[in-house]
Amino acid sequence: MTGLPLNSADWPDFSDTNLSVRELGLSRGDRRLICDLSVALQSGDALFLVGANGAGKTTLLRAIAGFVRPDSGVIDISAEREDAIAWLGHSDGLKPNETLRQALRFWCDQSHQPSKRIMPVLKALDIGHLIDRPASRLSRGQQRRAGMARVALTNRPLWLLDEPAGPLDGAGRDCLARLVAWHRSRGGLVIAATHQRLEWPDAETLGVGQ
Amino acid sequence: MRLLAGIFLREARLAWAGGGGAAGPTAFFLACITLGPLAIGPADETLRVIGPGLMAIAALLSVLQAAERLFTEDVSDGTLELYVLTPVSLPLLALAKVLGQAAATLWALPLIAIVGAMMYGLELGTALLVGAALLAAIPALALLAGFAGALSAGVKRGGLLISLIAMPLMVPVLVFAAGTGRAALDGEMDRAFATLLLTCAVSLGTIAVAPFGIAAAMRARLG
Repeated sequence: MTGLPLNSADWPDFSDTNLSVRELGLSRGDRRLICDLSVALQSGDALFLVGANGAGKTTLLRAIAGFVRPDSGVIDISAEREDAIAWLGHSDGLKPNETLRQALRFWCDQSHQPSKRIMPVLKALDIGHLIDRPASRLSRGQQRRAGMARVALTNRPLWLLDEPAGPLDGAGRDCLARLVAWHRSRGGLVIAATHQRLEWPDAETLGVGQ
Repeated sequence: MRLLAGIFLREARLAWAGGGGAAGPTAFFLACITLGPLAIGPADETLRVIGPGLMAIAALLSVLQAAERLFTEDVSDGTLELYVLTPVSLPLLALAKVLGQAAATLWALPLIAIVGAMMYGLELGTALLVGAALLAAIPALALLAGFAGALSAGVKRGGLLISLIAMPLMVPVLVFAAGTGRAALDGEMDRAFATLLLTCAVSLGTIAVAPFGIAAAMRARLG
């Protein structure tokens, strides 16, 4: 992929991944958020979830990740959830006193990925120089980029991103777009809940709660 | 196994870096055992009799005092979701996490208890048994506190909830851990060793059961 110092030979191909959501019903408390939602994504697809605050974008992402149980319907992922999903929630999953090197090395180990990939991914997100800095001394945008680095390093086919570009500046959004394009070029899937207009080519948009 | 070792070491490192390591529980433990005689009175015989029991209560309170932080941070910084998505089974992960934290924060308690017991007038042998009983009790105490901490993570007044949930569950381990020292004090070494083994048994039982409860509480926290 142009513009990314990531050697694609090091990274596996995800071309046989797909996700299908059929007749999904979701509620939060006693409020019905989503009914009869059906979506099918093939390898290489990207999907934006858009909608007002509280419409159920995050709940839908959490249901796909398996954190909340749907009221009805089926969510089918062509692999085990623990091997398929990379998650970026509202928070970045960073510990304030841990340096990026320690944190990312831990998550690489936990998902059986070699830690030699850390530096290339950090460079792709333009935070390579911050590798030895504890997360508490990073800005919000830098923390978000570190969260994206973790998502990329866990090397899973389905990325679920909740407001990935929230605190990012223009350059950060470009980095994110390049990383997402690179992931899709390997056959990966991306679902992102977002309020911002992100320039990801051929991404579909799904209105939630409309 | 390598993954679990990784989780254990990371939790120990985080407890060390972020939470001041053993400082919090140790200070609390020291405060309990030094303030005790001031409140109860300095009579030698009284101190000897209450020594083993006071050490056990002080250890229990120190463990509880550190329990609130155990899962609250994971809930608020989004680590909980990531843990659920790792290939490691959640009960084993919970076990590695709680024991990693316990190893980093509670290691000093048995050592201080030995010195403390001698300052309360117990002989070296008895003091060593008091320390051994605490060492045997700490896995059970830490896991029960972890269970209560996982149930109350992110809840307002979580500390109150932790005390209410964990205290009754901690009764057996408290009785056996204190009983070890008391039996040794009475010169009944057989009974002391038997009680020490019972303390170990409670800890092993807790290791076998509590992680499932913690894992269920972590999942419930997500939904």
